[in-house]
Amino acid sequence: MKIDANIQLPDDFYAALIEAHEGLSEAESFELNARMVFLLANQIADNSVLLACIDAARQR
Amino acid sequence: MEYALPTYSFVSPPELSQGVSTQYPVVVIGGGLTGLTLLCDLLQRGVQAILIDEDDTVGVRGASSRGICYAQNSLEIFKRLGTYDRIKAKGVEWSIGRTFAGEDEIYSFDLAKQSTHNASCQPPFINIQQFYVEWFLVERILEMSPNAIRWKNKLSAISQDENTVALTVDTPAGTYRCAAQFAVDCTGANSFVRATLGINAPRATGVDRWCISDVKFKHQPAKERWTWIKAPFNDDRCVWQHLMADDVWRLDYQMSVDDDPEYVSRRDVVEERLRKHFGDDVEFDLMWVGPYSYRDLLIDEFRKGRVFFAGDAAHVMSPFGARGGNSGVQDADNLAWKLALVLQGRAGEALLNSYHAERREAAQVNIKATARTNRFLTPRSRSEHALRNAVIDLARAQPFARALVNTGRLSVASAYTQSPLNFGRCAGGSIQNVALDAAEDLSAFIARQAGRMVVVAHDRMCYQGLDCVALEAGFPVRFTVLRDDTSEIARQLKLEHGECALIRPDLHHAGCIPAAQIGAVLGFIFHEN
Repeated sequence: MKIDANIQLPDDFYAALIEAHEGLSEAESFELNARMVFLLANQIADNSVLLACIDAARQR
Repeated sequence: MEYALPTYSFVSPPELSQGVSTQYPVVVIGGGLTGLTLLCDLLQRGVQAILIDEDDTVGVRGASSRGICYAQNSLEIFKRLGTYDRIKAKGVEWSIGRTFAGEDEIYSFDLAKQSTHNASCQPPFINIQQFYVEWFLVERILEMSPNAIRWKNKLSAISQDENTVALTVDTPAGTYRCAAQFAVDCTGANSFVRATLGINAPRATGVDRWCISDVKFKHQPAKERWTWIKAPFNDDRCVWQHLMADDVWRLDYQMSVDDDPEYVSRRDVVEERLRKHFGDDVEFDLMWVGPYSYRDLLIDEFRKGRVFFAGDAAHVMSPFGARGGNSGVQDADNLAWKLALVLQGRAGEALLNSYHAERREAAQVNIKATARTNRFLTPRSRSEHALRNAVIDLARAQPFARALVNTGRLSVASAYTQSPLNFGRCAGGSIQNVALDAAEDLSAFIARQAGRMVVVAHDRMCYQGLDCVALEAGFPVRFTVLRDDTSEIARQLKLEHGECALIRPDLHHAGCIPAAQIGAVLGFIFHEN
């Protein structure tokens, strides 16, 4: 799992992400995030990396 | 404690004392940071401009608080203008920033170690109260031209035709009229000039409220920039902690949208907030307090006829990243050399059009950057809050998420990607003020060229077949070669063998081009664009 900065344009990405949530209800936002997780997971592909991400996300 | 600001006396202008009617090459309207930088630059370039200002001092009377962070590019400009040494002596250098959420530090940086900043002879930032920067500029201007700044001169009317700008000015000794070939409006966010000339100035006022407190402590905090995204001592809202000259600290507290601005700035309320922040036994002296709400403004045209708009008169943005004052300084730096070349008959008037293209793009970039920070710090919905908080939570352990934490993207020299003066590779970027050798930096070298653009190549071979003497006679340009092939400047310019780079008087890159094209490019820059 990569932990160092790897997103090419962090500010552009963040702006696009919150833009995608604009005007949605909380339930719709929740579902959008869930779809994003699966889309991004498919880009990652590697099962051990996906499991490491789930593990990291559970830690607060 | 209060600051003691200098005052300057009104001198009756020649229009009133001698009844003369004068046309000035340039009248700068407004003696704030942008106007004074522009006047200083114009005078240094030999343009006998004047500046009218309705006040008789620097800063805003009674209000010490305005810009405090001067970015590397501004410092490079002040170096060229001769005020940098005083700023450096008076101000505070810093390069380390830390961001906190709750009790935890989630992120820190050291600008001095970043390649974007470490090539320059000037540091990444110096913090100093804005009125000091203006004060040093005034004194530099007085050395060059004792009466160029006209204090207590208030513009009451302005109009223009194809050839001149006509100004009516009220003074304690009466009203006078004068003319100018060009005028530059540097009167700030509430510009009367803009309104009079019918310039569209769409604005948006932000909802968030801040309380600015300038404080002198008995025991000083660390000389670093600290920001809290969620400060436990400010009801989990943001706090900015910055240092300035005279051991004064600038503390910005984000307030709740429904807080009463008058209440949050009341002395006893501010003092209580400071004790919550620094502990009950903190000893301090409150220098200044003021409520603040953010707003954006961007005008459509930075030039209307013979009138240019610069600084807050052209663009206003939230203070995140110190982009407001620093971009005003860059506006002045961009305009001064162009006006000087045109007024001296060394370039065609079309050169001036690039001011709008370049500086409006810069303002758009700055406004976008500050709006994004604003949005990160003040999410608009619960889902946006959830995303923002996810970034903060991840940032503690996952370095990648720190790049998404946005407490302000610090002011950098603007790149002009849309400029009509761009040719070839790397055009439009800013070049840091690198040392050329032990004795001279790039800024000093460029300043010696009397407004000329500099063409640079690795060696004289590159110019073979070119009539450099004729080109130097026909255009404000000087042909040079690198002093040292492996130098930092070659790296900055990304200059390859067989081509040459064009460096503008404002240390922007006009591009790397094959030497054979240089004549056509110079013709375009100075006479056709």
